[in-house]
Amino acid sequence: MSSYETLRQGLSAPICLTWEVTYACNLACVHCLSSSGKRAPDELTTAEARALIDEWAAMQVFYINVGGGEPLTRPDFFELMEHALQRHIGVKFSTNGTLLDRATARWIASTDYLDVQISLDGASPEVNDAIRGGGTFVHARRAMELLAAEGFRFKVNHVVTRRSFDQLDALYELVTGMGGQLRVTRLRPSGRGAMVWHALKLTQEQNRRLYAWLRSHPDVLTGDSFFHLSALGAPLDGLNLCGAGRIVCCVDPRGDVYACPFVLAPEFRAGNVRERSFAAIWRDSPLFRRLRSQEVGGRCPSCGAYGRCHGGCMAAKHFTGASFDDPDPECVFEPESGPWSTVVPLPLRPRPLRPVPLR
Amino acid sequence: MRRSDRIRLDEAVALRRERFGALAYSYRDRQLLFIDRRLLPFVSSDGGRPLGEIADELIERGELQEEALPRLMTVLEGLRRKGIVHVVV
Repeated sequence: MSSYETLRQGLSAPICLTWEVTYACNLACVHCLSSSGKRAPDELTTAEARALIDEWAAMQVFYINVGGGEPLTRPDFFELMEHALQRHIGVKFSTNGTLLDRATARWIASTDYLDVQISLDGASPEVNDAIRGGGTFVHARRAMELLAAEGFRFKVNHVVTRRSFDQLDALYELVTGMGGQLRVTRLRPSGRGAMVWHALKLTQEQNRRLYAWLRSHPDVLTGDSFFHLSALGAPLDGLNLCGAGRIVCCVDPRGDVYACPFVLAPEFRAGNVRERSFAAIWRDSPLFRRLRSQEVGGRCPSCGAYGRCHGGCMAAKHFTGASFDDPDPECVFEPESGPWSTVVPLPLRPRPLRPVPLR
Repeated sequence: MRRSDRIRLDEAVALRRERFGALAYSYRDRQLLFIDRRLLPFVSSDGGRPLGEIADELIERGELQEEALPRLMTVLEGLRRKGIVHVVV
């Protein structure tokens, strides 16, 4: 059986899972996947969160991608991360960097098996702050400096958009010049991202150039998010398939389990950890069972590139109104859709960061 | 890799059993590897027994074909080079 078939049919536990620990965020980025801003009143308690970590440890989940919201707004953040690390679960946490101070940088540098991704959506304040909010570029850069000063090899996560595409080289230089590693991920039409999708999604020409750029920068991470571009030639590094409910999933701050972090919608909710154990949801939920037996139909299987892209991203299809059997909305063989200009007015404005003194 | 070698998993590698064998994840360099089920008795031996002894037992039980052994040794050598397993000295 090929590794694709093996993974498509699901694993005994996720390789990794995304854990959105809170919906609270001091920013309101225009493309936020989880539409974060305010804390939900019924978010998991510390005791519930610790028990969930214990369950993941028993299942041998290798690592968790911790996000939100802004994880550092959660008062028990450090306690929970320490607990995960003690239980031999690797942690990769994403932060906007605005709350990352010297003491936090020191703590991060003192840990083993913890990675940090600072979100930065442009190589200049003009491009980044239009998406993430006024003042966020300066704060993200400050967070990078604090981690670099501790000798920690941080990562910068960049959601590439048509506005930032021409800054990829500059961003690469900025990040690697400070000792960091760049991670480039795909814009999804999920959460608030649905409202800015047409204004920010890459043009077809940019998608083609991005494929070549990624091929020539093998040290740039992608979280396997551009597997739809593998249709253009040799597959990009990674597993090159939709892992939703098969090898990954997402747990939201209330304990709802979703197929992946890009489909926080009722139709992709597999259960809640307050009602059923995470292990039972992972193994037996009807949604996950269906995803593990499903293959993209329609025109895709007869395409010569199907073996490399497997029909693309389920979330991108769902939130653009396409069916599971349709090609990915950014399929490289489909005609260009949406605007051509690389600077399209945004229908949303990010909330500017409240003035926070840099420490 | 030789028949007399004993091997153990790197301390930063987690091994999780799956239908096809196992997944190995290295926390050191964050690499994920598929481990074929025929390799599992060797990879999970914790350095207690020489590879040849494990192989002979598997062959005797009909769980491994002798012709497959050289290829498995080559794959184990690849895992050693990647830092997934170490030869116990």
